[in-house]
Amino acid sequence: MDLLPTDEQSEIVATVRTQLDRDFSLNELAALDGADTVISAELWGRCAELGWFGLGLAEADGGVGYTLVEEALLFEEVGAHATPGPFLATVLAAHVAAIAGDEPLVGQVLSGERRVAFAEPEPAPGADPVVGPTVSGTFRVTDFGGAELALVLHGRHAAVVELGTPGLIPVPSLDQLVPLATVALDTAALCSAEDRSISLRATVLVAAELAGIARATAEQSTEYAKVREQFGRPVGSFQALKHRCADMAVRADAAVNLARLAALAVVAGHDDARFQAESARVMAANAALENAQVNVQNHGGIGFTLEHTAHRYVTRAQVRARTAGTPFDHLAALLAATSPA
Amino acid sequence: MNLDLTAEEQAFRAEARTWLRDHLPADERPPEGTEMREFDLAWQRTLFDGGWAGINWPTEYGGRGLSDIQQMIWYEEFAKADPPFTLNNSCTFVGNNHGGPTLMVNGDDAQKAAHLPRILRGEVVWCQGFSEPGAGSDLAGLSTKAVIDGDELVVTGQKTWTSYAHVADVQELLVRTDPDAPKHKGISWVICDMASPGIEIREIETMSHVTDFCEVFYDEVRIPLSNVVGDINNGWKVAMSTLGFERGTAFMADQVELAATVERLIEEARHRTGPDGRRPAIADDEIARRLATARAEVAALRAMTIAGISRTARTGVPGPEGSMIRLFHGELHQRVYRLALDIVGPDALRLTPVDGEGVWTGPYLQSFAYTIGGGTTDIQRNIVGERVLGLPRQ
Repeated sequence: MDLLPTDEQSEIVATVRTQLDRDFSLNELAALDGADTVISAELWGRCAELGWFGLGLAEADGGVGYTLVEEALLFEEVGAHATPGPFLATVLAAHVAAIAGDEPLVGQVLSGERRVAFAEPEPAPGADPVVGPTVSGTFRVTDFGGAELALVLHGRHAAVVELGTPGLIPVPSLDQLVPLATVALDTAALCSAEDRSISLRATVLVAAELAGIARATAEQSTEYAKVREQFGRPVGSFQALKHRCADMAVRADAAVNLARLAALAVVAGHDDARFQAESARVMAANAALENAQVNVQNHGGIGFTLEHTAHRYVTRAQVRARTAGTPFDHLAALLAATSPA
Repeated sequence: MNLDLTAEEQAFRAEARTWLRDHLPADERPPEGTEMREFDLAWQRTLFDGGWAGINWPTEYGGRGLSDIQQMIWYEEFAKADPPFTLNNSCTFVGNNHGGPTLMVNGDDAQKAAHLPRILRGEVVWCQGFSEPGAGSDLAGLSTKAVIDGDELVVTGQKTWTSYAHVADVQELLVRTDPDAPKHKGISWVICDMASPGIEIREIETMSHVTDFCEVFYDEVRIPLSNVVGDINNGWKVAMSTLGFERGTAFMADQVELAATVERLIEEARHRTGPDGRRPAIADDEIARRLATARAEVAALRAMTIAGISRTARTGVPGPEGSMIRLFHGELHQRVYRLALDIVGPDALRLTPVDGEGVWTGPYLQSFAYTIGGGTTDIQRNIVGERVLGLPRQ
């Protein structure tokens, strides 16, 4: 039993960090605030070349041959960098296509040739969404720009569909780098899967991304508290700030370690995999939302500006806390899960 | 990264489960006095005879030399066995969890030989003499003085918040041996025989109605110099290792038990009438969400504990990150029992003991100790801020 990354895993993380620092600068991406397409085909292609979308897919299926554990490490970094882009939809679509045995589609998704948006049912009174071999209902779609396909997720049901541009209704997005639209679908899926592994994977990956947000905001606050001086000394020397930073670090540590443990439990097929995954999701959402908010507070006036990146984590945390289920859905799922204790 | 248990660890778990089923006492723990002491020591002897004492202690000190993971497995099995008492309240806690481990790291051969086997065999109760009326969070400001006289220290002063002093044989005691040195440089960590002439003990009743909390007075108490652990005036460093154990691994049993407590609470919520007076408590959305959150939090606590064990396995000693676990655990423990009182309905108004089956209000009152003992949560936050995150000192 060991919860620290192996040397090989640390290397993957280092490579991801380098790439995200270089190619996904939030200050440069800010120029695309509100655009339909945030990640260029070229940039997406580069991520594909690095093998990111198939990290956890078996080599026999065209993937890299690692597991959900390495995927979760990637998503933790994506969260930490507040990196936009349809990472979740792409990874899940490749898995759904692989489960359905649609090899060509796996290849097109992994290569970045066909971009995949993320869709899940838009809740409304009387709505009765169907996700399976046919997909119908009203869906909320994110990262639709440049996407030919959408991965539709509804609990344990997942499908990949063609995403026609007509019918898409873009709406202003809380997170300016996560383009948002609604669409009414009534179509046959290219492929579909009803498999708890998909919902477990989605739950763990979103948890990992949220944990990354919690970690990065804790670090951002701590670094700022070391250098920002008021009353003639670094503000981090004051207990009010120091204690907030300590609480942020604790929340981040809880979220990161539990997300990693959950990924391991799912991969090992443990009886408590659902319990750990839902726990990870709940902890990570709370940690990300709280840390992102406190991080703005810790920065004072500069934290309230559009120019500073602090608000990026606030809106990303809010979006991800509602991606692949709401906080309420996951609390209910956790209470219904089987506990190992 | 892996969650695999080795074949040895799996066998260990099975062995522990069987043994606990056959050996766990059926009686509740006597709440106080000599009977309580004898109960705790008898359990320690039972553990020792069964080969379950000092699971993660090195074999050279009489332990089994197994890993912290196996220690955790043992606690998990203990909690699952539905024991009628909690390990955290035992008067063997200090010896097993920080007195003994401090000696292993800092003691000389004679000290180790004299004390470690006795701790494991359940022959001795240790207590802690760190806090003073004038030295709480500012522990290094302690003023109990010790003057060297020949080959003895002569100790005069007062300690407080010493759990089980009234039933203890031995104390880990911090004294000021150099009043002129800077405050961290003039302290020594000594082993004090509680039967020494000049020691007076007064019990203090806690808000949870327990009387094992004590203050200890020292009037020219003579302690052999050979009882100084880790050199004279080097006691702050030794104390930091004690607190490292106290904040790091000592509460592992309680952390594991807390997970079982949350599950018991969920069962209670299925059977107790909820806030609307009609449906079970668990049908109330707010209670259901708080219970689910508590589940997530104990799961996170376990993940943090395993991560801590993974780090310690690489470095050998618990680092300051232990304070993160201790901080999270202390506040979570309190939250869980506060939630319990919202679930148990009219029983929230009925006082119970702090330990035993189906008790909630006693543990709730006792839970306030978890954010104060071993360093308040404010001190833990300072440690996390300064020693883990590297923020400047005030």
